[in-house]
Amino acid sequence: MTTEMTRTTCRILLLPILMISVGVLVKGYADIGDGFSAGVIASLGIILQGVAFGAEEFDRLPLVRYAPLATFAGLFLALAVAFLPVVSGDPIFLHHPVAGDSATHFGALEFITPVLFDIGVFLIVIGFCVGSIGAVARETVRRERDRGAQAETRRGSPGAPAERGDRR
Amino acid sequence: MPEFITNPNLALLLFCAAFAAPLLTTVIGTWRPALTGIVAIVTTAACLAIVGISYVAELSSINVPWSETLGLRFHLELDGLAQMYALLATGIGLLVVIYASRYIPLHLEHHHRGLDEQPRFFGFLLLFMAAMVGLVMAGDAILQFVFWDLTAIASFYLIGFDRDREDSRTSALMALLVTGISAVLVLIGVLMLRSELGTYSIPEMITLESGGTNVGIALGLIGIGALAKSAQVPFHFWLPNAMTAPTPVSAYLHSAAMVAAGVFMIGRYYPMIASFDWLLDAMLVIGFLSIAVGGVISLTRDTLKQILAWSTISQYGYVVVMFGLGNEYGLTGATFYVLAHALVKSALFLTAGAVTEATGATEMSETGGLARRMPVLALGSGLAAAGLIALPLTIGFFKDELFFAAAWERGPAFGALAVLSAALTFAYVSRFWIGVFLGPVRIEPRSISWFLTGPVLVLGVSTVIFGLWTAPVIGIAESAATLPANGPAQIEIAYHLDARHENVMAIATWALGILLVVSERWWSPAARAVASLGDRVGPERLYNRTLKGLEYVSDWIHRVEVRDLRSRVATILAPAGILVGLAVIFTPNSDAFEIGNFDRGDLPVAMMLLVTALAAIAVSIPRDHLRIVITVSCVGFSLSVIYSLLGAPDVALVAVLVETMLGVFFICMLLLMPRSILRFETREPSERFGIRRDIVLAVITGATAFFVVWGVLSRPSPSTELIDRYEELTPLAHGRDVVTVILADFRGFDTMGEITVIALVMLGVMSLIRKGRLR
Repeated sequence: MTTEMTRTTCRILLLPILMISVGVLVKGYADIGDGFSAGVIASLGIILQGVAFGAEEFDRLPLVRYAPLATFAGLFLALAVAFLPVVSGDPIFLHHPVAGDSATHFGALEFITPVLFDIGVFLIVIGFCVGSIGAVARETVRRERDRGAQAETRRGSPGAPAERGDRR
Repeated sequence: MPEFITNPNLALLLFCAAFAAPLLTTVIGTWRPALTGIVAIVTTAACLAIVGISYVAELSSINVPWSETLGLRFHLELDGLAQMYALLATGIGLLVVIYASRYIPLHLEHHHRGLDEQPRFFGFLLLFMAAMVGLVMAGDAILQFVFWDLTAIASFYLIGFDRDREDSRTSALMALLVTGISAVLVLIGVLMLRSELGTYSIPEMITLESGGTNVGIALGLIGIGALAKSAQVPFHFWLPNAMTAPTPVSAYLHSAAMVAAGVFMIGRYYPMIASFDWLLDAMLVIGFLSIAVGGVISLTRDTLKQILAWSTISQYGYVVVMFGLGNEYGLTGATFYVLAHALVKSALFLTAGAVTEATGATEMSETGGLARRMPVLALGSGLAAAGLIALPLTIGFFKDELFFAAAWERGPAFGALAVLSAALTFAYVSRFWIGVFLGPVRIEPRSISWFLTGPVLVLGVSTVIFGLWTAPVIGIAESAATLPANGPAQIEIAYHLDARHENVMAIATWALGILLVVSERWWSPAARAVASLGDRVGPERLYNRTLKGLEYVSDWIHRVEVRDLRSRVATILAPAGILVGLAVIFTPNSDAFEIGNFDRGDLPVAMMLLVTALAAIAVSIPRDHLRIVITVSCVGFSLSVIYSLLGAPDVALVAVLVETMLGVFFICMLLLMPRSILRFETREPSERFGIRRDIVLAVITGATAFFVVWGVLSRPSPSTELIDRYEELTPLAHGRDVVTVILADFRGFDTMGEITVIALVMLGVMSLIRKGRLR
């Protein structure tokens, strides 16, 4: 079990880490970093919670529960950005605004479709990293529970064979 | 009214209707299983109606490009040949679907399967019909090939419909392999034709001058594919095995559709085939061999459907022979023969199914005397059998008349062979009908539905009707024969009461046939000997041997590869190392492997490289898994330092992140491994042999990688043009960071592929750990 200090620090760190990852994502076109790096940063922030609070708590986080679905949401978003231009007869991966046009600004931020594609990549990476670690976390929790139940039955009726044995 | 209603494009309409049929049947059938049969019947009837209308409308076609750079076009043409085969596919298809709408529920009930499997059957049956319709209309060779393969796939599911039975699965696989592998030959042939003649369009190919050897070889390859599909010697063995399919499938695929597709293909390419005598001679040999093998073995079989299957091999031999003879009678005769044969043979197949349904018997020796108990069925199949043995007043009489005329024109020897062949047919068909319907009653039949006997009666009666009123059939066959003949084709058939060759030959055939029927006791041991010789040394044995051998090799490789994790890694590294090593040795490399200058600015990079190398060596030292993971991370982290030293911050950032994530993944995997195994692996020393092998492998792959990298780096980089261009374009793409712009824009398609892989791996993880549940 981790100390209170670790847990508090990790909880406080989560939001800044997510902020940084979003920053890396939206500024990716102008600066170092892109959807992939942003995704991994955010995933590491979320996984840090698992390290601090243990597998059971981790598995209960909504961010972890819905992560696998995020993968496919991201895939569809990326596919849409890539292939929707085909509908109007343009080549795939035609990004808007096209070369020469000026982009809409919001502060220093530019609204351009490559960022949408990068958001798709971001969602896929986050879904993959958090989703797989979440799957492992849930599996370990399940095994722990099985082992507990097994010990319980053994204690309850001495000599009776265990119903659910170790799988390996 | 709009133009597309008053004057529709029938080719396109038929195509859409044919492919809508399986879709509608499956969707509605899944929703309401009871409606499956009705939907199937209605949609098939609609297709048949469109084919019918096409005979009174003008020639319709659609020809649009769909991949212009490759020269591919979506070209469908409802010409005479296409009309005839489409008529067979939809007409016989309709009767078979009506029959199956009653047969399949009973069949499923016998096998204790749910009625909800009906849509699966009708879906694939109609998909087959649609593929057949597409095949016959296709004017583009590649499009034709697509439909050709689609028929093989649909037939795989139909033959293997009783998937709980092993013989059914092996037969389905056999049919798929024989017709599928030969389909590859068709594709090769088509590509050769394209490279020789410069077009995929079949009508265009035919107009071109084409006498080259390569064209001949290409046509030969297509011919092999076609003959395999038509179950001709030596590819015939899949057809008798395919009899494990439910009866409607046999009646449809193995009399009117799948096997007919083969001779259709020959007809389509015939104007080109005709200019190569050796192709025609080969067809003659194969055709006569098939007639003999199919006929003799059919005489020895006892299972009803087996008799018919072997007889089909023999009957399509006739068609191939007539194409091989190639004279005017032969061409028109071949198309006419397919039409007549489909009519009568499907009736006989349906008869076999009905008999089995009524009595439960599948063997001829178990049945008998059914003429008195089931007069309607006996009448229907009797008329069909009369058609097949070419008695006068049936449509079948003319198919043999044309056959005799074509053979006689070639010479008396061919005439004699033709008479022998026809006598063989006479013998096995009579044996079938007499065995089932005459003699003592062995099993008392149950009464069966009209849906099972009706189609047989319809087919039988139409055999006689078209034997008397020949005009429509002749019209269909003539318009079909114009395409193989590449010009007008005329058939003049009528009953003549004189001593012309055809009549004499027909009478000789009947006399010989009757002689064969009554003398069964004397020749049957010889026929049996031929059949058992075929079992022992025939092509089927070769097929089984090859399959077994391949399985053995595959098992052996599998065993070597998956023995343990190390051998799995070895099977990847060893071939890669050896192959790349050979490539390095045989590449001319005069300027490669130079040692460049070393100035003081390179010192930090060199030091970090040393750290990386030391970390890599250190990986091999610890035995504890956690320590191995951490040491591996060390290698990665020191590499990312090198990236940042070389001025690649994007790469360095990704490397650090990936390395951190990988460490977490590795530790998670260790969590999932049973503790006892981890502990065992930590303590137990590896086998001596293993260590020696690992060292050899490591040296080979390491040395190869070293020399490849050295060789690449000592060459001056080819040009920085591309990089400059990317940098120049980046502002235009509204970006300032070249790497990100490359990933999301310039090379976006690559990124798309990579992230799709991530999503697939995700699915894999979820199915392994969570049995596929995503939440």
